[in-house]
Amino acid sequence: MADGTMLNRSRNRIAELRAERTLQDWIIDLGPFVLLFLLVLGFSIASPNFFTVSNLVDNVLRNSTILLLVSLAGTFPILQQSIDLSIESMVGITGVVAAILISDYQLGVLALPIAVLAGTFFGGLNGIVFAKLKIPSFLVTLGSLSILSGSALLMTGGTSIPYRNPTVRWVSTGELVFSIPNIVIWGLLFYLLMTFIAFKTPFGRYCYALGENEEVADLSGVQVDRYKIGAFVVSGLLCGVAGALLAARTSSAAPGMGSGLLLQSIAAIVMGGTALTGGVGGPHRTLLGVLVIGVLANGMNLIGIQSFVQEIVLGFVVIVAVAMSMDRRKIDIVK
Amino acid sequence: MVMTMSSDLSTVDHGEEPGGSEAPRLQVSNLSKSFRNVDALSEVSLSIETGEVVGLVGENGAGKSTLLKLLTGIHQPDSGQIALDGKPIRIDGPRDAAHQGIAIVKQEQDVVPNLTGYENLFLDRIPDFTRFGIVRSARMRSRAEEVIEQLGIELDLSAPVSSYSFTERQMLEVSKAFSESIDTDHPIILLDEPTAGLDEGGRELLFDRINELRDRASFVFVSHELDEVLEISDRIYVLKDGVLVDEVGAADADESMLQRSMVGRETADEYYRTSRQRSLSSGADVALRAEGLSIGDRLDDISFSVREGEIFGVVGVEGCGKSALGRALCGVDPPHGGVVDVHGEEIRPESLSRMVESGLGYVPKDRKAEGLLLYQPLTMNISLPSIGTERTSHDLGGVGSLFPLIDSGKEHEMADASVEQLDIRTPGLDTLVYQLSGGNQQKVVLAKWLQRESDVLVMDNVTRGIDVAAKEEVYRVCRELAEDGVSMVFIGDELPEVIGMSNRIGVMKKGSLVDIVDAPTGDKPTEEELIEMMI
Repeated sequence: MADGTMLNRSRNRIAELRAERTLQDWIIDLGPFVLLFLLVLGFSIASPNFFTVSNLVDNVLRNSTILLLVSLAGTFPILQQSIDLSIESMVGITGVVAAILISDYQLGVLALPIAVLAGTFFGGLNGIVFAKLKIPSFLVTLGSLSILSGSALLMTGGTSIPYRNPTVRWVSTGELVFSIPNIVIWGLLFYLLMTFIAFKTPFGRYCYALGENEEVADLSGVQVDRYKIGAFVVSGLLCGVAGALLAARTSSAAPGMGSGLLLQSIAAIVMGGTALTGGVGGPHRTLLGVLVIGVLANGMNLIGIQSFVQEIVLGFVVIVAVAMSMDRRKIDIVK
Repeated sequence: MVMTMSSDLSTVDHGEEPGGSEAPRLQVSNLSKSFRNVDALSEVSLSIETGEVVGLVGENGAGKSTLLKLLTGIHQPDSGQIALDGKPIRIDGPRDAAHQGIAIVKQEQDVVPNLTGYENLFLDRIPDFTRFGIVRSARMRSRAEEVIEQLGIELDLSAPVSSYSFTERQMLEVSKAFSESIDTDHPIILLDEPTAGLDEGGRELLFDRINELRDRASFVFVSHELDEVLEISDRIYVLKDGVLVDEVGAADADESMLQRSMVGRETADEYYRTSRQRSLSSGADVALRAEGLSIGDRLDDISFSVREGEIFGVVGVEGCGKSALGRALCGVDPPHGGVVDVHGEEIRPESLSRMVESGLGYVPKDRKAEGLLLYQPLTMNISLPSIGTERTSHDLGGVGSLFPLIDSGKEHEMADASVEQLDIRTPGLDTLVYQLSGGNQQKVVLAKWLQRESDVLVMDNVTRGIDVAAKEEVYRVCRELAEDGVSMVFIGDELPEVIGMSNRIGVMKKGSLVDIVDAPTGDKPTEEELIEMMI
């Protein structure tokens, strides 16, 4: 039955399919690696202080950890084609909760997991309102961005809450392993955990399915609401971790301490390869984007580019990254 | 040549044969188009004379819509040419087609309901009706009134289109097609299933208009309703598998003749493999029983049962509730009342996930929008309903069901087994499913449920939009599944298919199950018998 011509035809067809990887596919896959390499190379040449262990570990990695946690948080909703815009104030309020519990209630290290729980709870509320009331996630979380930041301001009276507690500080700044700051270890642990969740658990798998086509997931018997809420729970949890570690690191917390993280995290997520159109990429790739942003910020500091200019550069980076990664096959009309 | 076209259109009478030397109004020669590995259209040549109504028939996937898309410039042909009045043309898109004189009335009505009739009529030309950037509504409206008056169509153009009846919208579409091509002498209006959804009155109105307008336009009438095609057309072209297989004068043709040349195979029995249909003794176990399923006025107290290995067809006209029945059975749209009994377990179908637990699987009507994660790998599509079950999870020494972690090895084995079982033609297990042909995609949808070990499948138009060869494959697969004891609720729009495949057929009408007809091998009901019950 399978005569020569048929075999040939199917071979040609297979070759044809292989050739169908578009330029965009290649850019998304390899782009962040190339970009990271070029940035490291460029900054190494431009500044002698850049390619040193102390700069790379103490500055780049340590400063990138909070961004990594927040970007991992944002990855799951974006993977599902939703978005969590509340992460900045989520970091702010959980940090404030931790600081108040330590300074006013003397809870010490116990305050940190409580702050994480608070973040998880707020994330859950985001998710429930989004999934059950069927309100677009960007609107729900834009609302909660305002609610949470207002609440944090109310709790603190708008000022920063300092405290003294060496143990809490050690959680973030200590060096348990070699001379790597603990905060970096935390970042790494959560990175591995999230990558595991994305690939090995039904939740992770459904994130991809929902991002690709929620209707299909629904008609395959997936309880979609549960997993939509789940993405925001995970997002809240990780923001809680970020808030708690940030409060621990600085021995204080201020309502606005998360500001600037939202745009940076979206840039990192998208540059890593998780498109705003959902269904592709994942937390494992987000690390790449975070490193690009981290290296970019550090390098620009070293060669003396002022922070206002850095902000302008970041804005361009976000727009270009989104433009290159959007899967336009999936959406006909963008509004 | 264009100059020889009569400038006074009213003098071109319907039926008057144009001179032999004159080129036809529209000439299509050796037009070919293929998509991926499928030849959608190959070497099709046809012509349409001034004032003619030409019917175009063929099964789903025969190439009708591809031809229309080539004629309106949505796709460009791989080879061949399209000529107007003997002059070859290139068509750059629907707008360009309209300007050159080929306009289409589409199956899905392209109207913006919140705008008025006249705004819809000139939607793409609103900038032409402005002065200093301000829209001159009165002028647009009076112009629109002129257009429909000329066409003899009555519509309240100042009302928003949302207040129009289905028929009125269709008339607006016809007017729009005319107005878009109004600058050309003698437009060719392509009517793609124009009577779908129209009631008797609307259909008559449409046919009246077509007959009236014959002296001002040519029509291409595409429809599944062969009697309508015969009634309105002068000549009929028959397409099958992308090839023009027949051209007949309407006066010399009848329905069964068209049907034969559309299907073009020895006997329907062979096509549907009725010889392999199981004869089920009344003693066979009941796999699925529905009792008193109701949803408002969409579904009214529906009860029936399906035995193991039985294919239970469901037919009815558009809007009779047959799709709603499928969705209710599976808990996709939970019924307000009634129960479903799967293998003796009585359940209220409250959610699909609950029904899946009991062994049901749902093959939705729209493969691409509802059945497949198009841009995800084959493997992931097949395993989707099984994720979280032990079929895709690590054992972890027995606690795997508590903490289901995806075992990609098992997942790949699962996909591999399906590719083997259903003969899915794919370059690899990681191929994104949008790259597969329609028939193979549909097999992936079936595989999803088979791998979930669903043995009662509710299938809504399982062969919709796939080519004939792929259909045969799907029929073969269904027969094999039935032999393995899988039960199927086979909901279909195409009567011959349902009749050919089913053991018994439930006929629906206005939300009720009006009759259940036996359809054993060798004693199948005819289409006419079913239609009588349907309407």
